[in-house]
Amino acid sequence: MTTFLQLIVVGISTGSVFGIVGVALVLVYRTTGIVNFAQGVFAVLGGMFTFELRPHMPLLAAIVLAVLLAAVLGTLAALVAVGFRGRTTHLASLVITVGIALLAEAILLATVGEVPRSYAGVWRHAWDVGGVLIQPQYVLIAGVALAATILLTLFLRGTVVGQALIASADSARAAELVGLNVRAVAVIAFAVAGGLCALGGALLAPTVPVVYNADLALTINGFAAAVFGGLTSIRLALLGGYALGIVEQLVVGYIDPQYNLTIALVVMLVLIGWRSRRELVA
Amino acid sequence: MRLTLIAGAAVFACWLPFQLSQGQLGLYDRMGLYTLVAIGLTLLMGFAGQVSLGQGAFFLIGAYTSALLTVGLDPDDRLLDPDAGIDPVLAVVVAPVVTAAIAAVIGVPLLRLRGHYLAFATLAFHLIMSSLLFAQDRFTGGQYGVTVTKPLEVGGRTINGATHAAVAWALVAVALVLSANLVRSRAGRALQTIAVSELAAAGTGIPVATFKLRLFVFAAALAGLAGGLFTFYTQFVGPEDFGIVLSLQFVLMVAVGGLGNVYGAVVGTVAILYLEHEVRELGTRESLLGWDLPAQAPSVLSLGIFGLILIAVMLFFPRGLLPAVVDGARAARRRAPWTK
Amino acid sequence: MSALFEIERLVVRYGEAVAVDGISLRVDHGERVALIGPNGAGKTSLLNAGCGVIRPASGRVRVDGDDVTGATPAVLVRRGVTQVPEGRHVFASLPVEANLQVGAYGRFFSLNVISSTLRYVRRRADVRDRLDRVYTLLPKLHELRERPAGRTSGGEQQMVAIGRALMAEPRLLAVDELSLGLAPLVVDQLAEFLVRLNEEEDVAILLVDQNAVLALALCERAYVVETGRVAVEGPSSELRERAELRGAYLGGGP
Repeated sequence: MTTFLQLIVVGISTGSVFGIVGVALVLVYRTTGIVNFAQGVFAVLGGMFTFELRPHMPLLAAIVLAVLLAAVLGTLAALVAVGFRGRTTHLASLVITVGIALLAEAILLATVGEVPRSYAGVWRHAWDVGGVLIQPQYVLIAGVALAATILLTLFLRGTVVGQALIASADSARAAELVGLNVRAVAVIAFAVAGGLCALGGALLAPTVPVVYNADLALTINGFAAAVFGGLTSIRLALLGGYALGIVEQLVVGYIDPQYNLTIALVVMLVLIGWRSRRELVA
Repeated sequence: MRLTLIAGAAVFACWLPFQLSQGQLGLYDRMGLYTLVAIGLTLLMGFAGQVSLGQGAFFLIGAYTSALLTVGLDPDDRLLDPDAGIDPVLAVVVAPVVTAAIAAVIGVPLLRLRGHYLAFATLAFHLIMSSLLFAQDRFTGGQYGVTVTKPLEVGGRTINGATHAAVAWALVAVALVLSANLVRSRAGRALQTIAVSELAAAGTGIPVATFKLRLFVFAAALAGLAGGLFTFYTQFVGPEDFGIVLSLQFVLMVAVGGLGNVYGAVVGTVAILYLEHEVRELGTRESLLGWDLPAQAPSVLSLGIFGLILIAVMLFFPRGLLPAVVDGARAARRRAPWTK
Repeated sequence: MSALFEIERLVVRYGEAVAVDGISLRVDHGERVALIGPNGAGKTSLLNAGCGVIRPASGRVRVDGDDVTGATPAVLVRRGVTQVPEGRHVFASLPVEANLQVGAYGRFFSLNVISSTLRYVRRRADVRDRLDRVYTLLPKLHELRERPAGRTSGGEQQMVAIGRALMAEPRLLAVDELSLGLAPLVVDQLAEFLVRLNEEEDVAILLVDQNAVLALALCERAYVVETGRVAVEGPSSELRERAELRGAYLGGGP
């Protein structure tokens, strides 16, 4: 029983990051129509930047700076991915983000190398709750994921900029007609999404070290979570992330660790099939 | 006229391997095999209009099918009986058949998916296939791969080295002729209608789903054949040659050559593989432009260049680099799934 | 004095197909002009090219004599030309009031997010005033202000779309297919409103509509567009009498 609970606890924390990546994917997709294949890269960057900055400043400052840096890189990615008005389609943008992910991996490999990076979290000891070891970091990640998602939803509904993003999501056509700059919307969406993922990655790194090519697994898991939300619901994407994280840990714990990406892929395929069933039954 | 050109080029392509050094042969051979895959993929993406991020999976399936059939399906027999397994030639022939069968089954649901869903689904297919075949397992050899001792022999003559490359390019020539005929046939015209508008095609009574599936299976078979033959170049199959980057490379080769353009597929594959080769060579040097190069430099440089070219082609040459360069090519009018 | 809005020998192509084949038209300050013609004649393409949604192959678009050919819709909005698109396209998940607000600050929203947000914040009082003005013009919108725009009726959505376009203080309102999918009673009310708007607020109207009777009743001048070209143009009173048009567009009858 304790193993079971233990796995659930770990699952919720890794699932939080999947959920965050999923929320980011939904945000970008809804506002720009682009699926950002490089979304996982920002989570990795969050961990990497924090690692590099940590020796020079307190942990919180390092994380904040890492998130800001990731947001800036997000704006660059947006400008490249959006491409040229009228010439670059959404599918082309997807392929561009594949290129961005590869380029990012190359740069990380060149600068940081293959060694996984980690750093000490806030707490030193795990809490023992009835035989189940809970790293406080797990609770932190889960809480931050939830809080960040709520804040994002408030931002979207309550601020002028947020409403512009929702307007773009509802009707790109009409948004353009009222003068909304498509590139500006993309830049904001990518920046917020990138910063959010970086936060998740920075919080996860103490328990799961980040490595240069971890982005693919994160993007896949995040996409699965996003598909759970139909690529449109932020709340469901977060929920899907938690669920996926738990399912994965259970498989890893009870069956075999080498299948953890496979299970994500299978779940993703099942969810894609479910969400597309209207089209599949042609 | 075109047939003569292809014939002439084919003869040259098959003669060339015998003039190359050992080091160059490996590259040339891979160019031929990968071109087979690219030809199938460019037709699929150009006419069925979808992005497949998992074509490497069929290459992988073909390779492992021919390898496992050749060494014998029972892991125990392999150690005891040197004659276990079937004749390599038969194995190479069966490889595309098995690959096509798998494609026929998964193609039905797969081809109904929309753009980004299809992209992720094909990616998932490749990764799942990889994890199944590279899992620790005596049957598939897991991370250690499978060594094939039996050489590929036809009529007493061993097919390896230069002969292997020649066979690969001969197959490319055959594939080009088949594809050119396909495009010109009634089926080809139907496919062109589908490429312009699936709705319009369906309206004129063309069974769109069936045609797309057939293209998918054809492309898979080509990749399976290439994979099946690949086993016998190094007499070994193992995880290193079939990573996910392989599938992405095929997309790049096809993008560079122009979707739907089979001759472009040849040029794209050769160009990209050559570039990758040169870049990796560059990476093995001690230092470059004053910077000391670390051990991972070859991978870094090739991944980085690869990513940059993919971005550049998608941004500036969405219809393909080759069509943009070769003015007025028929290929320029072929619609790529990602252009308006 | 130059026209408020002028299109000169515009050509719009989609690949090989020519949608607009050298059309010229003008709208003067405070005018009401109609674009009528059969489906697929190129009217919407013409409007879209005029409003910056698509780039014409050749020809010129001018506002107040200044060349704005190929500029984005944002530029045109800032110049006082806004479009009410075919099919309304309201921002469904936002409440009606938010729809209107986005209509106001869309033009402040540029790549330089900080400066554009600052500009919006400084002009907030103006935007509030404008909102009140639009509510006065369209009281129904005030009633519906909290309702998600997606949950309003077709006619109400058309009102939202018009109100949204008005928030940018346009001098020319381009309306694409006012009557599509709406009940005749609703269409009449909207048409009356547009005439009042034109007369009281001096907003010029460019109306594209398949319903020629409506368009000619509403507007003083009209262009008849067929297969990408202007077939006929002139005052509505004249066009109404033209026998050949009667049969084709005005319901026939001697």
